[in-house]
Amino acid sequence: MGNKLKYKILASFLLLVSLLVIAGTVSIIEFIKLSKTVTAIIDDNYKTIEATKTMAESIERIDSGILLHILGEKEESIKIIQAADIMFIESFNVAKNNITEFNESIYIDNITENYNIFKSYWINNLYQHNFQGDLNWYHNQIHLSFINTKQAITNLMYINQNSLYNHSTQLKEKSQRAIMPGIVSIIGSIVFLVMLNFFITKHYITPITELSEAIKNFDKNDKYLHSNINSKDELKKLETDINNLITKLQYNKI
Amino acid sequence: MRTEVIYKFLSYVLLFNAVFLFIAAAISLFYNESSAYPLMFSGFICIIFCALPFIFVDNIDDINFNEGIAIVVISWLTTCIIGMLPYLMWGGEFSLINSWFESVSGYTTTGSSILNNIEGLPKGLLFWRSSTHWIGGVGVIIFVLLILPHATSSRLTILNTEINELSKANFKFRAKKIIQVLVIVYVGLTALQTVALILAGMNSFDAINHSFATIATGGFSTKNSSLAYFNSEIIDYIVIFFMILAGIHFGLLFGTFTGRRENIFKSKVVKIFLLVLLSGVILVSLKLFFSGTYNFMDSIRYGAFQVISLGTTTGFANADSFAWPPFTHIILIYFTIQCAMMGSTSGGLKFDRIYLFFKSLKKQLTLIKHPKAIVSFKMNNIHISDHLETMTLVFIILYIFSFFVTTVILTFLNVDLYTAFSASIATIGNVGPGFGEVSSLSNYSEIPSIGKFVLTINMLLGRLEILNIFAFLILKRGNF
Repeated sequence: MGNKLKYKILASFLLLVSLLVIAGTVSIIEFIKLSKTVTAIIDDNYKTIEATKTMAESIERIDSGILLHILGEKEESIKIIQAADIMFIESFNVAKNNITEFNESIYIDNITENYNIFKSYWINNLYQHNFQGDLNWYHNQIHLSFINTKQAITNLMYINQNSLYNHSTQLKEKSQRAIMPGIVSIIGSIVFLVMLNFFITKHYITPITELSEAIKNFDKNDKYLHSNINSKDELKKLETDINNLITKLQYNKI
Repeated sequence: MRTEVIYKFLSYVLLFNAVFLFIAAAISLFYNESSAYPLMFSGFICIIFCALPFIFVDNIDDINFNEGIAIVVISWLTTCIIGMLPYLMWGGEFSLINSWFESVSGYTTTGSSILNNIEGLPKGLLFWRSSTHWIGGVGVIIFVLLILPHATSSRLTILNTEINELSKANFKFRAKKIIQVLVIVYVGLTALQTVALILAGMNSFDAINHSFATIATGGFSTKNSSLAYFNSEIIDYIVIFFMILAGIHFGLLFGTFTGRRENIFKSKVVKIFLLVLLSGVILVSLKLFFSGTYNFMDSIRYGAFQVISLGTTTGFANADSFAWPPFTHIILIYFTIQCAMMGSTSGGLKFDRIYLFFKSLKKQLTLIKHPKAIVSFKMNNIHISDHLETMTLVFIILYIFSFFVTTVILTFLNVDLYTAFSASIATIGNVGPGFGEVSSLSNYSEIPSIGKFVLTINMLLGRLEILNIFAFLILKRGNF
């Protein structure tokens, strides 16, 4: 194989192609990993962070509703609290069904526990009692459980935010890993082409030029061409064929 | 100079690197690490580039001296470029200059690192990092010469370039045998140390990596706090033993193991080298004990480890020597300059040259007294020619000049004088740790980028024996 010109050229181009194919494959694999990380950020962390925000907003609305109740707006407050409670439960279920971090279920259980305590203070009392102007009730029971629930929600948000930060750091590294094979391949291809150009010039262009010079300088007294082709490929064969032709012509002349 | 001949030899160098890149990639794949693809891709790049000369260039036997120098110097540079690819592609702390620094530091067996968190690296990359030491330790081209099937005269020419004339004095073999001896001792010592470290309680991965780094007199550890992480007396003493062996002429070690006449017990240079090391250990240990830094046994353990680590250019650390009394710094700096023996895996100035310098001094003093006297000049009963004597003295002057220039450049870049000076001698001596910001348990991450690049040139000068680099540069200008 090594002695055939066409195989040598084919092998050289195959090498170049394999460089690009390997670089492309590695880039594709890294980009797949990259997209998985993006999906992880959106699915695992962003969804829960949004749910915790809604949960925090819901309990703040419940807290505002209770304060409205104390101010005497009983019907209005019940409407707000009921809507906020539904909103809380919906967002809580989103977070509960999206446990992706280590020990995240403990944080969810903590929210459940604190929200149940918080809810137990107002769920029946709002309908059965009139707390107008009763700030002691709010201060002794509602406020502390509200703060605890909010803290439990914030804790869940923090672990997801930390994970989000870690994922985005990974994202940066993975994007670099996806890009690098491309950059290395571009530089590699240029170096490869310079080398290929050197070998083609040295092994094919130079012998052809030498052969051409030898033909040009061929004298009628010469018995064969004086070229310096040392290869065993088609160019050497061409030189041999020319020499054979010269021999035949000289023989015929004689 | 025939370019295709250089390409052909480079292709073997790339092939050898590719083998280790694929082993490292396999480790990464086994542990499902992020470094698997960068390592694998770098391996494929090596294969693709090494295939091209195989297609076009036939086997070459004869090469001339100029080609020999070019092959050695370009092989080292190409290897360092290939070595940085996995780091660069993996990312993390590895910027372009940091990747280059880590690669050059690895291959030249310097062992200086820019990494703040070594333990954060994937196992595959850690293995590659240690492999660069092992490949560079005995010289990548030596491995290539061993596997070359038809290269009798090429082998001799390249060997003459890669191995110093002083070093060859203790090799009483033909070129091929010298290479075999080097590789047998190298692989043998690595295997022995790996087994010893495993028996001492180190896990096999750390044992292999630390053996690679010890026998190559490199110094890369898999731990942030180097050998101090293991806090084990037995591990420290095993490493000390193998550091000493790695710092001695491999030809003499081979002679000792095979019962030849040229062995370490008959060599005067080895005796004096070990005596100087012992003196350093005693001085540092006594100072550590009397200054109240450690108790008596710990003073010997830490003192011996640090002196031998720097005296053999390994650069491992089992304590923060920067916190020791200034007297110990002076002693350790001396050993950083002195380096280990010719014919070992160490780089830098080398003890034999210092020994030759003092012998030459004695000769000159005799000639001043008796100008017409014929003074016999021998080392290990081998005659030292005037040419070799002159070349050695020129080398010493160039060596001092090189680290002086590097110190000046680093201080210009606002690196403090102590750090700049110790970093310069630690890199040109292929030792690794210095003092100040680059002390034994610290790293080179704070050095400015230009400074890091200058230090890598230092490492290459130290490893490739300054004169070879200058010869190559003159060769490139066509005046050689």
